[in-house]
Amino acid sequence: MKSRSGEFPRRLWGENPLVAYLVGLCPALAVSNRVANALLLAAVMLFALLGTGIASVALERLLPPRLRLPARLLLASALVSAAQRFLWALAPTLGAGLGIYLPLLAVNCLLLGSAGAGSVAEGVLEAAGRGAAFAAALASIALVREVLGAGRITLFPVGHFSGVVSLRGLPPARVLAAAPGAFFLLAYASALVRRRKRRVA
Amino acid sequence: MSQPAPHLHQGPTTRGTMLAAAGCLVPAVAWGVLVQGPGALAVLAVAAGASLACELAIGLAAWRRFTLADGSALLTGLLVGLSLPVYVPLFVPAVAAAFAVAVVKASFGGLGRNWMNPALGGRLFVTFSWPALLAVRPRPPAGWLRVPAGLTDGSLLGGSGQLGLVSTLLLALGGAYLLARRIAAWEVPASFAVSFALTVWALGGLPAGEGLFRGDLPAALATGGFALAAFFMATDPVTAPRGRAARLAFGAGCGLLCFLLRVYARRAEAPFLAVPLMNMLVPLLERPAARRGRK
Amino acid sequence: MNRTRSFPRGGVRPPERKLATANLPIRKACIPAEVLLPLRQHAGAPAACLVRAGQSVAEGQPIGRAQGPLAADVHASIPGVVSEVREILLPDGTPSPAVLIALEGEFSRTGRTRRPEDWRELPRDQLLRRLEAAGVVGPNGVPAAAGLRAAGRAGLLVVNGVESEPYLTCGQRLLVEKAAEVLSGAAIAAFILGAGSVRVAVEADKPEALRAAVEAASAFGFEVSALETRYPLEEESLLMRSLAERKAGPGASGFAVLEVGTLLAIHEAVTLEQPQIERVVTVAGEAVRHPGNLKARLGTPLSALLEECGLRGPARVIAGGPMRGFAVDGMDAPLTKGMKGILALSRRERLPAVRTPCIGCGRCGEACPWGLRPDELYKWLEHGETAEALGRGLEACTECGCCAFVCPARIPLVQGLAAGKRRGAA
Repeated sequence: MKSRSGEFPRRLWGENPLVAYLVGLCPALAVSNRVANALLLAAVMLFALLGTGIASVALERLLPPRLRLPARLLLASALVSAAQRFLWALAPTLGAGLGIYLPLLAVNCLLLGSAGAGSVAEGVLEAAGRGAAFAAALASIALVREVLGAGRITLFPVGHFSGVVSLRGLPPARVLAAAPGAFFLLAYASALVRRRKRRVA
Repeated sequence: MSQPAPHLHQGPTTRGTMLAAAGCLVPAVAWGVLVQGPGALAVLAVAAGASLACELAIGLAAWRRFTLADGSALLTGLLVGLSLPVYVPLFVPAVAAAFAVAVVKASFGGLGRNWMNPALGGRLFVTFSWPALLAVRPRPPAGWLRVPAGLTDGSLLGGSGQLGLVSTLLLALGGAYLLARRIAAWEVPASFAVSFALTVWALGGLPAGEGLFRGDLPAALATGGFALAAFFMATDPVTAPRGRAARLAFGAGCGLLCFLLRVYARRAEAPFLAVPLMNMLVPLLERPAARRGRK
Repeated sequence: MNRTRSFPRGGVRPPERKLATANLPIRKACIPAEVLLPLRQHAGAPAACLVRAGQSVAEGQPIGRAQGPLAADVHASIPGVVSEVREILLPDGTPSPAVLIALEGEFSRTGRTRRPEDWRELPRDQLLRRLEAAGVVGPNGVPAAAGLRAAGRAGLLVVNGVESEPYLTCGQRLLVEKAAEVLSGAAIAAFILGAGSVRVAVEADKPEALRAAVEAASAFGFEVSALETRYPLEEESLLMRSLAERKAGPGASGFAVLEVGTLLAIHEAVTLEQPQIERVVTVAGEAVRHPGNLKARLGTPLSALLEECGLRGPARVIAGGPMRGFAVDGMDAPLTKGMKGILALSRRERLPAVRTPCIGCGRCGEACPWGLRPDELYKWLEHGETAEALGRGLEACTECGCCAFVCPARIPLVQGLAAGKRRGAA
């Protein structure tokens, strides 16, 4: 009987979709160059997961088995497209920063979305959990990448604050700012998580 | 049965191999320090020190083993230091050596398990991370040998030209010793040198519009990086293929890539890029022999 | 005499280290006060014990009866009283019952000359029975009689006078001093096999042995081949390849290979009805003051032989040769039928080996006479993939030790491959 306090971190990292199961690599590696991008992508993903999660419960009951998967894909694409339009309208620069990787999310939502087998509450919890895990992992990688690879932290502009926090120190390592850096960090994060899982198991 | 047969052994041990290779670098190191001054010593010392410290830390923390005795960390550190220019800030050789030991070697399982030459891995990491710091900048050398400013490009190996030629000869001398004692396989440097020389001589003049067989062979060969890569990096037994045919193909590939990268892409560190690229192809090169073995 | 090359690939050239003993004549070892005779000095099951504690035995009396295939009789090597029958560990780590005999009484064979019989008048079966009665066993543990029976009618007999392991010179000295007897044994074996030709293989760089072999061979009409030394030349199939003979097995047009020590024992067994109770063994190494080739009784404790040769503080004692022999801790291990050498190596001769991970140099593959890749096989076996290793030729390994000899990482390749072979056979 595990304690609640130990359970959550274990599920957060041990079963983290990005780090433990390596799902959603393409958008994850691309948008983890800035913390702002990472958080934004994760937010959209959470939105899409919640939407498909809730709707899946109904789809499960209403549709025959063969149609469930295409229906969920359609739903995920619709939600992501909606989020994309929303972004274009309200924060075009941020949306442009995400580029093509936003629509790619749709497929990942399909993979990570719950099957809708349980109740609405369960669906919501599962979606929220997975979305939060993805967000945490992506944000951590983005943080390390930006700090070591670009010497700054990019957050959302609010009022007078431009959103960019510059850091002083050693010259930034460009490898980390580029794609290989993402691979390195993801690989080590994944290795760390697996090692902890093996020790606990 | 406590102690197994055979009870006699022939040839150097692992440590003997590594230390012999490190020893064969000494003439070139001495020359580099003589020309470039104490800055060179600092780079080498930092690289070697970082490499040893990293291996010690990882060995004790992760594997609970003391692995410094096999001499491979020292050799890696020296090679990293030797491949870098002397004017870089000292954190660069430290990061390069640490990357070489921690990421390229230790993360894959330690000695004998890496697929890429560790020293080159570290060198490439800093090359792409801080390209501005490593850009070739002719500087007046601060060594004990009074050398005019234009003659060297600030690297420990002397760059191209007469100083680079001396480095090349000293490295080749060291390499010859390794070949004679059969510590390094002769097929790799031989085919590397032959294919590089042939391609440079035959096709090197093409970019400059001079036609075939007009390549500037002495300049290409004399650059210290080539000799270092051919005799000390490509011959690393862990990352070079086994078997004569595979080794010849490996060296030839290195030579060809080195030529393309130097003459067409105009990269100064062409040999240091060519060898890791060929390291990646080693399983492919070994496959025919493995298939023959699996009767 | 004709010169031929050596085997095509692999092999190593260890330092010879034979100067100390190569030119010394064979000398008789002191008769020990006690002998410990293992009942298993052959490849098969241990012999059934025929004696019990307190019983008196004569010199040459059978004390163990062969049980099953590849087994031979064991005889008392000294006259005396059986002290006890106990289990001991042989140098190769396997257990065997052994008979401890304390010296007492008269020698019924030693010191009495017997006229050698003319064996040509005896039928083939009787020759084989004399070999069985004498318990003659070859160095690989196969009894001579069983081996000759299994070979059937072979066209060619090869006298294996090659000794490429360092330190060992007993075979060489036997050729120099007893070539006539050795070749007489070869003639007997050839007669049993119905062999049409006999070739004597000697190393080209042993001129005295070569001369003696040529001289004796001319009397018998045998051919002598001088071979270029390389370890492991004495292995049967490599020897045959060096002699440029077809790779055929025993059988009608096949061949048989017998070693010089075994042939001498065959000669004595047939012409003198002498059981195998003593052998010539090379005692060498820097840690003995007076190395040499000793003619010693089977069952003599190794410590006695080493003391006789002036032992002083060895780093390692080896029963057998340095490439295939076994390190012994307890010095009361006895001399057995197949033991060619007893080596006491000083620290300088035998530096301790520091083990590191494999660095992938590939030297083991270059040294392997069978073209195997011991580094790959070892790695497969380490991960438990016995089937993969077998698929890559593990069964061809003869545990010669060339791979481990050259390995810079000092990996116990022979041990690993041998264990894998045993697992694969099971």
